[in-house]
Amino acid sequence: MTGLYTRWALILGATLLLGFLTYQHYQQHLSTISVGTLLGSSPATQPVRIQGMVKSGTLKGDMEQGQATFEFVDGASSLAVVYQGPPLENIRELKTLVLIGRWDSQAQVFRAQETALINNFGFVAAAYLISVLALGWMVFAMSQRVMVLFKEIKESKLYEPEAGSLGNKE
Amino acid sequence: MINRIIRQIQRYKGWFGGGAALCIFLGLYTGLLASPPDYYQGELVRIMYVHVPLAHTSTLAYSVLFGGSIWYLWKRDPLVDNMCQASASICALFTTLALITGSIWAKPTWNTWWTWDPRLVSFTVLLLILGGYLMLRRLVDDPMRGGRYAAILAIVGGIDLPIIKFSVEWWRTLHQPMSFSTRGVSISDDILIPLTLMSLGCWLLFAYMVMVRTQILYLTDLLHAKKGRLLSQTHFSQTTP
Repeated sequence: MTGLYTRWALILGATLLLGFLTYQHYQQHLSTISVGTLLGSSPATQPVRIQGMVKSGTLKGDMEQGQATFEFVDGASSLAVVYQGPPLENIRELKTLVLIGRWDSQAQVFRAQETALINNFGFVAAAYLISVLALGWMVFAMSQRVMVLFKEIKESKLYEPEAGSLGNKE
Repeated sequence: MINRIIRQIQRYKGWFGGGAALCIFLGLYTGLLASPPDYYQGELVRIMYVHVPLAHTSTLAYSVLFGGSIWYLWKRDPLVDNMCQASASICALFTTLALITGSIWAKPTWNTWWTWDPRLVSFTVLLLILGGYLMLRRLVDDPMRGGRYAAILAIVGGIDLPIIKFSVEWWRTLHQPMSFSTRGVSISDDILIPLTLMSLGCWLLFAYMVMVRTQILYLTDLLHAKKGRLLSQTHFSQTTP
């Protein structure tokens, strides 16, 4: 039984480590902040991801050349955005999206270089958790059942060599 | 012959389990951390790395059940019957998970948890067939007869496999068409690597689970048989003057 639990402790440890790395990756590279949070915080030198909506009637520029200016709103907060980057195929007024760039505190504009789709990571996390937990639990329960059956056969003094003929005890 | 092959493969059960764990961990790592987001779906594409391997494995599991049932009806090998029973219960697990993860993926992309799409319906029919198979085995008192009836049901239910595979081509459907076909592979390498690793991991895991479940069924039968023999011996020694 000890071997079984040791093996499963290793698997659980590796799974938790992977979960922790994924969470860290999400926090560092994928999580977004609101416009209000960006304006309220001290000027960030690192690129940030902000989530909001393109204000109606403010989108100007050449989208195919990847140059645009617009107002970006999130609730009551809004800021001016200067976009310069890859051609904008999926940007339009009233569109909710994520902008990746830096806040220019001198010019009081957000200089965006990239856009991203808004994703609900809850769906991704739910799909992975359900699958990994269900499969992991099922395999663990089955391995434990084999151990219990071997023990039962031995303890009830019914053990005979044919018990081991379908694979060895784990 | 099949009986001998099963017994031979059982010896390498640990390798299948270890291989499955390794492939799944590498697949999860590349799928969650190393692969890029999709242009249209963004990060949601990562659901594919669990949904598609689960769905592929459930059709593989049913193929094993289908082939095993034909063999059982022909040779009446109890070990093959145990393997079929094991495949059916594990196939039911993989099918359920494929449907759940598919539903989770459908909500943000199709804006619905469920739709009467041919692929979804044919996959749900597969789950119902498996439910029927497992119930039939429990409901019939004589295990030999139950095994025979269940094998017939599994063979008849095999008609659902080509329907699942070709449903996206035969009917107008929301579900995306086949990515792997004789026409080639229509997905990029960035996505193909985690998908292949996860698929390989799920196939190995299925093989490992079938081996363990077959072993459980075998040991349970053995224990019951031995207990029955012991009881009859005790009873015989008590009643004999």
